[in-house]
Amino acid sequence: MGNEAIILFLIAGFVFVFGAVLFSKLISPKWDTPRKWDPYECGVETIGPSWIQFKAHYYLIALLFLIFDVEIVFLIPWAVAFKHIDSALPFIEILIFFVVLGLGLLYALKKDAIDWD
Amino acid sequence: MTERIIFYILAFIMIVFSLMSVTSTKIIRSAIYLLGVLMATAGLYFLFNLNFLGAIQLTVYAGGIMVLIVIAILLTHHVGFGLPVPDKKHMILGWLAAMIGITISFFQFTTHTFKPKIGNLDDRVSKMGADMLHYGDGGFVLPFEVISILLLAGIIAAITIAKGGIPHLKKRLKSGQPTTVSSSTKKQ
Amino acid sequence: MNWIDIVTIMRDEWSIIGILILLLAGEILVDKKQLSMLIPIAIGLFVLHTAMSFIPGDKATLFGGMYRTNEMMHFMKAILNVAVLIILFQSYDWVKTTLLPNGMANAFYMLLFAVLSGMYFLISAGDFIMFFIGFELSTLPIAAMAAFQLKEMRSTEAGIKLVLLAGLASGIMLYGISLMYAVTGTLYFDGFLSAYYHEPLLVFGFILFLSGLAFKISLVPFHFWAPDVYEGAPIAITSLLSVVSKAASVFILMILLLTVFKDLSDAWKMVLYILAVLTMTIGNLFALRQTNMKRFLAFSSIAQAGFILLGILAGGAVGAATVIYFVLIYVFTNLGAFGVIQAIKDESGKEDMTDYTGLYRTNPKLSLVLVLALFSLAGIPPVAGFFGKFFLFSAAAGKGYYILLIIAVINVTISLYYYLLPIRAMLLRTSDTPIPTTKSGNMMRIGLLICVAGIMILGLYSPVYSFVLGLTQSWL
Repeated sequence: MGNEAIILFLIAGFVFVFGAVLFSKLISPKWDTPRKWDPYECGVETIGPSWIQFKAHYYLIALLFLIFDVEIVFLIPWAVAFKHIDSALPFIEILIFFVVLGLGLLYALKKDAIDWD
Repeated sequence: MTERIIFYILAFIMIVFSLMSVTSTKIIRSAIYLLGVLMATAGLYFLFNLNFLGAIQLTVYAGGIMVLIVIAILLTHHVGFGLPVPDKKHMILGWLAAMIGITISFFQFTTHTFKPKIGNLDDRVSKMGADMLHYGDGGFVLPFEVISILLLAGIIAAITIAKGGIPHLKKRLKSGQPTTVSSSTKKQ
Repeated sequence: MNWIDIVTIMRDEWSIIGILILLLAGEILVDKKQLSMLIPIAIGLFVLHTAMSFIPGDKATLFGGMYRTNEMMHFMKAILNVAVLIILFQSYDWVKTTLLPNGMANAFYMLLFAVLSGMYFLISAGDFIMFFIGFELSTLPIAAMAAFQLKEMRSTEAGIKLVLLAGLASGIMLYGISLMYAVTGTLYFDGFLSAYYHEPLLVFGFILFLSGLAFKISLVPFHFWAPDVYEGAPIAITSLLSVVSKAASVFILMILLLTVFKDLSDAWKMVLYILAVLTMTIGNLFALRQTNMKRFLAFSSIAQAGFILLGILAGGAVGAATVIYFVLIYVFTNLGAFGVIQAIKDESGKEDMTDYTGLYRTNPKLSLVLVLALFSLAGIPPVAGFFGKFFLFSAAAGKGYYILLIIAVINVTISLYYYLLPIRAMLLRTSDTPIPTTKSGNMMRIGLLICVAGIMILGLYSPVYSFVLGLTQSWL
């Protein structure tokens, strides 16, 4: 049964999303003013281009986030398997993994990589 | 049958989105098309009942790496501008290379008889975790630990590159020098 | 397998990772103003580590075949250790003056040791997962290190080029591995090919896999990243890339081709033959017209990689022994040349070949070291480089590769010309604006002295080759 349901949902999803877009395009009134194409910013006219350059610090934080994101990926299987294994081994193994990456986090803190100045 | 239909739909989405991703001249659109490819890949994993792998694909790739790519794009000056369209010679050569690659792969895949893996694939997360922590035959504890060193090296490298330049950049800003220097042209 | 086994057999890995963790803890605990005290600690610990790696290792397999080692692999790791040690000595002044004020000195050592541990795992890999992780661990930190000279835009450019192209190479390699896995259904090296070596899909995957490794050894036509990266990166990183990284990749390529992919030899011998001819010839032709010393050595090291392929083509215990012996000599020779360039760059900031005119009059010792290194690279007897090339060529001749040998000899003759150019400029010419007399630090002197000793001893003292041959004979 499962697969038919997936197909049904897939079709329903497509119909609802694209149908809504198409429907609103069909029934909406159409007139154009240059103001209409401005990015909406609390009703105030925008000053300068709306694409601005970000601070480079965001990138470092995103990178650190990604590294610890990957760490979580390895933690989940460990956490699930942990209670099925009755020896100290998994604990020692994850401890090595944890200490190494925990030191990485401390290093990041020491280097002010997560601070916002 | 239905599985097959879903597979082809997902494959079609992947192909179309990846083509759009490499041919689009607006870099932010390329990134969003890439997101489509990654999502469809996650869909493939779910289709094959690899739920954990699908979830990871969504968190790490669609979540983490896309954030990274989008931020990297926002760091650049010309976010909204289009990339220049490559000239004819490069276009033709690129398409030619792609076609040769597709042809070779296609013939290889169609002529090879793949042997199906006997027995059911045990894809429970607990089995995966037990394998990961097992140190004997078929265990993956060594790669698991070495990956922590790899991630650590990544942390150190990222922080050093990002933070090491700051004293020097501040000095430049104080003295009024431009912070970017155009790269010299290279000779072979 | 018990825990004591794991500790004693993997002692190289444990010790280098231990040093890495220790330095990391030091960086966290020590006050920012006293970070300079970590530099002698790092070098001192690594000297101990190198000394320890000369205790011969045993043949063993751990973790269900994921990690394997033997006397030969242990000796390879010792070679890498010596190379890294020389780099540590030679880069001491640069680290102190350039990296320390920016707070990057300790990161340099940590990343260097991470790269080295990646190379250990690469050489000792028993399956494709460990191989790939080792490959990444020994490539990605180097890309960051190539961008360490943040004041120079060329250095940043080198880092970006390396990281992008390394990503492409590992993507292609991973695709090849996945295709091979699809055919054989196993990732372990043991019994990897057994019954499948005639499958076309496997050969296809193998070619893609080989391209990834060829990228790392910078064989033509996968060499386009090398000159720009070598020129832009700081000299210590250039020597790391062109000596240590290349040596490790050559070792694993040799191990894989001679054992795991032995049954595929019809396929890879043809590919390697073409790669060898292209690499020797094109590397040499481009080296002829370089004016920057780093770029010149980059192309020369591409050409040298072509010669190494001759030994792998010859195969067998003899071929393997010649490859290891050549790499051992190459380590001392190239690091000697890079060391002199580093010493001169540290002092005067110059690295163009025209600046070296009349160097002998102002810096006789440095220029003699460089002359010795260039003689060895060119393969002029009594220096070690001659014996390295001689053994490689005789191994290839023993297997009947006569046409390849003729091409190689022609290339050696061409290379004589461009290796002698800087020698002539240094010894015979005079310059109006010579490089002033430089006074290198003690660390740099030790580094250069080890190189000179290596070049002289390996040239004049023959038992080293028979020792290496004994190792490879017990391996194959």
